[in-house]
Amino acid sequence: MKNSLLLLPLLLLGVWGFAQSKTGSILLKNGTVLTVTKGTLQNTDVLIVNGKFTQIGKNIVAPAGTKVVDVTGKYVMPGIIDAHSHIAIDAVNEGTAPVTSEVWVGDALDPLDISIYRALAGGITSVHTMHGSANAIGGQCETIKLRYGAYNPEDLRMEGAPRTIKFALGENPMRSHGEGRGIQPRTRMGVEQVIRKAFADARDYDAAWAKYNAEKAANPRALQPVYNRRLETVADILKGNIIVHCHSYRADEIYMLLNVCRDFGVKKLCFQHVNEGFKVAPELAAFGAGASVFADWWAYKFEVYYSTAYNAAILTRNGVVTSINSDDAELMRHLYHEAAKSQHFGGLSDDEALALITINPAKQLGVENRIGSIEVGKEGDVAVFDQHPLSVYAIPQLTIVDGIIRFDRQNDKKDMRLEVDPAQPIPAFNMENYEHVDRCMQGTEDLWYYLFENEKH
Amino acid sequence: MRNKSGFLILFMLLAATALSAQVAKPRKGTFALTNATIETITNGAQKGTLLIQNGKIAAMGASVTIPAGAETFDCSGLTIYPGMIDGGSSVGLSEVSSISLTVDNDEIGDITPQMEALTAVNPNGAAIPVTRVSGVTTTLVVPQNGLLPGTAALINLVGYTPDQMYAGAKVMAMNFPSAGRRGFFDQRSEEDIKKEVERNQKAMNEVFDQAALFARIDSAAQKDPSLKKDFNPEMQALAKVVRGELPLMIEVNSAEDIKAAIKWVAERKLKRVIFSGVAEGWRVAEEIAKAGIPVITGPVLALPTRASDPYDAPYANPGLMHKAGVKVALRTSSAENARRLPYNAGFAAAYGMGREAALRAVTIVPAQIFGVDKEMGSLEVGKDATLFVSTGDPFETKTLIKYLFIDGYLVPIDSRHIQLYNEFLNRATGVEK
Amino acid sequence: MKMRSWIFFFLLNLGAAGLWAQPANPGYKPVTQTYALKNATVVVKPGQTLQMATVIIRDGLIQAVGTNLPIPGDAKVIAADSMFVYAGFIDGLSYAGIPQSRPTAAAGQAGPPQPGQQAQRQANAANPTNEQAGIQPEIKARNVISPQEKSLEDLRKLGFTAAHVVPQGRMLPGSGALFLLTGNTADEMLIRDHTSLFATLNGARGVYPSTVIGVMSKFRELYKQAEQAKMQEAMFAANPAGMAKPANNKSLQAFYPVLDKKLPVYFAVDDIRSFHRVLTLQQELGFPIVMAGLKQGWYVADMIKSKNIPVLLSVDLPKAKETPKPGEKKEGEAAPKVDPEKEQLEARAAEEMKKLESQAAVFAGKGIAFGFATYNGKPAELRDNLRRMIKNGLTEDQALSALTTTPAAMMGMTQALGTVEKGKMANLVVSDKPYFAEKSNVRMVFVQGNLFEYEAPKAAPAAGPARTAGGTPAASVGGKWDYAIDAQGDAYTGVLTISDNAGAISGSWSSNQIPGNNAMINPVLKGNQLTFSSQINMQGQDMTLEFDLQIQGGSFTGKISIPQVGTFDIKGSRQGGPNGLE
Repeated sequence: MKNSLLLLPLLLLGVWGFAQSKTGSILLKNGTVLTVTKGTLQNTDVLIVNGKFTQIGKNIVAPAGTKVVDVTGKYVMPGIIDAHSHIAIDAVNEGTAPVTSEVWVGDALDPLDISIYRALAGGITSVHTMHGSANAIGGQCETIKLRYGAYNPEDLRMEGAPRTIKFALGENPMRSHGEGRGIQPRTRMGVEQVIRKAFADARDYDAAWAKYNAEKAANPRALQPVYNRRLETVADILKGNIIVHCHSYRADEIYMLLNVCRDFGVKKLCFQHVNEGFKVAPELAAFGAGASVFADWWAYKFEVYYSTAYNAAILTRNGVVTSINSDDAELMRHLYHEAAKSQHFGGLSDDEALALITINPAKQLGVENRIGSIEVGKEGDVAVFDQHPLSVYAIPQLTIVDGIIRFDRQNDKKDMRLEVDPAQPIPAFNMENYEHVDRCMQGTEDLWYYLFENEKH
Repeated sequence: MRNKSGFLILFMLLAATALSAQVAKPRKGTFALTNATIETITNGAQKGTLLIQNGKIAAMGASVTIPAGAETFDCSGLTIYPGMIDGGSSVGLSEVSSISLTVDNDEIGDITPQMEALTAVNPNGAAIPVTRVSGVTTTLVVPQNGLLPGTAALINLVGYTPDQMYAGAKVMAMNFPSAGRRGFFDQRSEEDIKKEVERNQKAMNEVFDQAALFARIDSAAQKDPSLKKDFNPEMQALAKVVRGELPLMIEVNSAEDIKAAIKWVAERKLKRVIFSGVAEGWRVAEEIAKAGIPVITGPVLALPTRASDPYDAPYANPGLMHKAGVKVALRTSSAENARRLPYNAGFAAAYGMGREAALRAVTIVPAQIFGVDKEMGSLEVGKDATLFVSTGDPFETKTLIKYLFIDGYLVPIDSRHIQLYNEFLNRATGVEK
Repeated sequence: MKMRSWIFFFLLNLGAAGLWAQPANPGYKPVTQTYALKNATVVVKPGQTLQMATVIIRDGLIQAVGTNLPIPGDAKVIAADSMFVYAGFIDGLSYAGIPQSRPTAAAGQAGPPQPGQQAQRQANAANPTNEQAGIQPEIKARNVISPQEKSLEDLRKLGFTAAHVVPQGRMLPGSGALFLLTGNTADEMLIRDHTSLFATLNGARGVYPSTVIGVMSKFRELYKQAEQAKMQEAMFAANPAGMAKPANNKSLQAFYPVLDKKLPVYFAVDDIRSFHRVLTLQQELGFPIVMAGLKQGWYVADMIKSKNIPVLLSVDLPKAKETPKPGEKKEGEAAPKVDPEKEQLEARAAEEMKKLESQAAVFAGKGIAFGFATYNGKPAELRDNLRRMIKNGLTEDQALSALTTTPAAMMGMTQALGTVEKGKMANLVVSDKPYFAEKSNVRMVFVQGNLFEYEAPKAAPAAGPARTAGGTPAASVGGKWDYAIDAQGDAYTGVLTISDNAGAISGSWSSNQIPGNNAMINPVLKGNQLTFSSQINMQGQDMTLEFDLQIQGGSFTGKISIPQVGTFDIKGSRQGGPNGLE
């Protein structure tokens, strides 16, 4: 009564759905089509209708009103997928606890990030944007489509993509918590136990709920276990509802997690960076774990000192589903070139190299039925190059997401920001660090602050 | 195309087996590279033989007489290029970049021109073989940070002591006081930046005034020893710049800073100046060309320096400067990733520089800038035998380096990366133990 | 007798000045709390204006509004001719009165931590106390507001009389309440308690939840845990047998009215990113919401309208850049080189600025009712910013609604606040020109019948004799003028002598009640408006009188204002008739 006036407008608030992402139709005429899964088709047309590939073949007649683009002499490949990135999010690390499974970078999507456009200009159409690696069990990640131009973060989400979560082994969680705060883990032994404990606690938590659910009908006074999002999320991992993507470098720690996951029945597992994955490639293959690697990054810290740029080739030859990722807003602009390095370092075939940035990351993200190759029925994500995309001279010309052109080199406006700071008409010069900044640790600067302060005191 | 890669794998395997038979070391000798395509850089492409003798290119062309005892390499279908020169890196100075005790390019102090990069080069750094097997044979190792971080040195990526590696050129490194931000972590206010720049410019002018004074007194002291001043390593090092004995390499990146640096160089009447970095050179390319200052730019594989910039500005930067008439060389500005120099050049080529200019930007142009173009940077008789034989265009990712010669040494195609590949491609123990 | 009268006149008003400066603590009993604002332009509510109307205030309430009203005998009459009266403004979400460094919530505050705190926080990073984590929804604004805070006066002098104040902090700083912008204690100020649960997406510093993703997750968890705790408490209350005592977590308990949908969550949203994030939470959990402090709202205006989301827009705008006029150049300088890139960037910035300035107009144009929030703006810029919004399409009525009727409705206080109508709380703002006009000054603010008076800022002193500025030159004002000052029924008279030498004005005035001639200081004649100041000494005290006269032919009307005293009407006529000359 007292609050009725107050609530009048509020009561009118209903549940509403978000605007549907737009899809488009387009016909690409007479290109060299690199389907990745079904070979290379010369002088072939590709038709996308309402965001899906509907026809791939010769002399396709598009439905009336469909946009037609002549791609004679050009190369048409599936939109590139980056399985490890931190673009388009405002928070990377909730680095305050060794286990933060409850947080989700999907809550912090930033559709205005200029990195999205820059990635499109490198032929990228989908990105696995991830929580950082400060914690042994970090936050949940998000698979997005680069629908640049949208202002609603919901429009970035790849609707229906499986849930994924970031784990991290080795130096980063050891530094954040052991060295930084004097709590476990400080060693790779500790990392194992932190994860085992989280798994075990989650199993208990799940059991407590099962008990409650069984009891509540007979006993209306049964009490619920205290709601715990952290354990609930880990329980979802144990149930196979979330794919684990684990930041890792050394062979021993990779092997450790294989064992832990085996013990707890976790099967959906993909290792990230995994610079020493080549050393345990047969074990990875036997487990069925994926590996998402850098083409040639190494020596930026000790645990990657004994790396080899032949990692992707060794893993591939050993039957591990392997992708090449960026973890970096610059590198992601030329993942096609990173994939090509697997030809220099290990001699992969064109299709094998292209699979590293298309169908393989799609498999690792659980979306291989939707994206990652040019096949009828799949989503119309395409990158068009003027030369073969594995050539260093190739320049992306058109990037199409769900049948909509999101990047067109011919119509690039140069200043492609979606958001402008009117107080600063000419944006500040910002010398990005050209060396590999470990963006996985972004958001833990406060920790450096504390460390630094402590050193001084 | 796809069939060929199978062949390549087979070849790699064979090469690996051959090499693992004994510890391969660089060695000197008389080498005849026959039936090759020779990309001279300065004289177009030729067909024929290139003869290496006494560490030099002894002969070249279609009618070369191969001396008795020469080791012959059949280079049919292969191409010889001069070794690529990285115009700025930390190869050998930085081993593991996150571990400060393995990083030797950043001494304490703002004005430390007496620091010699050459001293701290670790000839056995893991990155050295990794880098050279990509055709990058020569690199300028540069001290970092502060106004005058030290003296950079050009080294060849072969040798057991720094002096064996030294490639005959040094430049004084300098970081021009910047009005820009250093990265996402740089949260200084505009006001603070401005103040800091003013302070730094004042300090810069003071130190160069002092150096000029020191040089004058020092010259006078040659005749009148009573004038001799106490040991002053900073000024002794800088006096070489004042006297024009050592080029000054000024790291400068934002358009405003570049313009300020051009003005400063003119005011100071400095003769031998190089600009390095020059990330926004494309904005002021004409001014740089007019000033006649050569540029070492890179990495090309970089992000735009402003949110409003064209996405491809860093890729197009070398080409735009080149077209405006600037003498442009490239660099990676890296340690472990210096092997990406050819790819940086490839992107520069694709985004407007053109392949030929990009090739020159990693060979003859840096050699000219460093004053060693009589010794390296192109394939000419009498020059150092610093070159590689590849399956094709070295910028193309697929291309493999087959033979490598640095300063006349035949250098094995081997590195830790290759060794690990050889060991683990087919691991001896399987899953079953 | 007459001399004494003058002195009495000043002293009375000096006393009153003291009273007005601190109405809540006069030191002695005020003579009357009944006021009659006479002959003002009264904006009763947006869209309804009365000319030459009178507002009668008694006992903190508006007793009557209208023309030709009888003036109560106990009323202090305030001649408000040419003044504009509005309902006092209501700040939709404010930190006014909240001390900047609240010691009890230090952990949640920004700023560098103390060394001791730091070590403790570092160890506690994963399991901080609620205080460290910035999770204290149980804190009540009425328990932390401080009536002495200058921020209250800063807001009041802009015309605000009430504010929805929330504690300041990180994720869940506490619950808000509606306060009057005057009072000796929080209780005196309080209009309505517990009007909101306040929430932000700002993480705690260095402890969990430290990021927006941590906050989003923690909010969901607290919400569900509150549901569980509430259920358990209800079961225990019904029958405690065989049950563990509920935990009685006060932070969770603070959520209960939100769970019951009886209390809205006022969520701080700075831009569309945070808007969408908050919307995500609201959708999932279904709590009543008010989006507070929105910027960039044009992207979501249609959604806000179709879903009827209550919204408070930010009053903050980036500082307007002074753009040099094109083609303008200093003498001797070459014409600046045209830089197309720079021009294009500046054009984009200007376009974005325009959007920000037009946000309110876009909302109003779509028929969305919105209030304003000041918590993420700067009071000193508020009036300029409102004018910029009006220049960009917001009507004055719409602006007024956002400052009065809409926030009143959002607070559920329509019957007491938001308009100048009988029975409403006597919360008024009085300005010397229409409030939103350039150079208009707030001269009086009534808060529940308590009068606060403000001086108009002095005009910049002109060098030497004034010249007529702009427009067609007025007829010469030179000559002698009889004047009369109306001081609450008593008339004070004298002669004003003006010398007009081709627009250069000088002169003096004398009084029939006090001796001597008083020179005009800085006389400025602008069209028909003559302003000057003058100094007199009364009983050893220097006083500055500001004259502002409108001259029409042979007569003038105007005001005299005396700092710390008040403003009085003056009128006069030329000696020897309308066209009389010296």
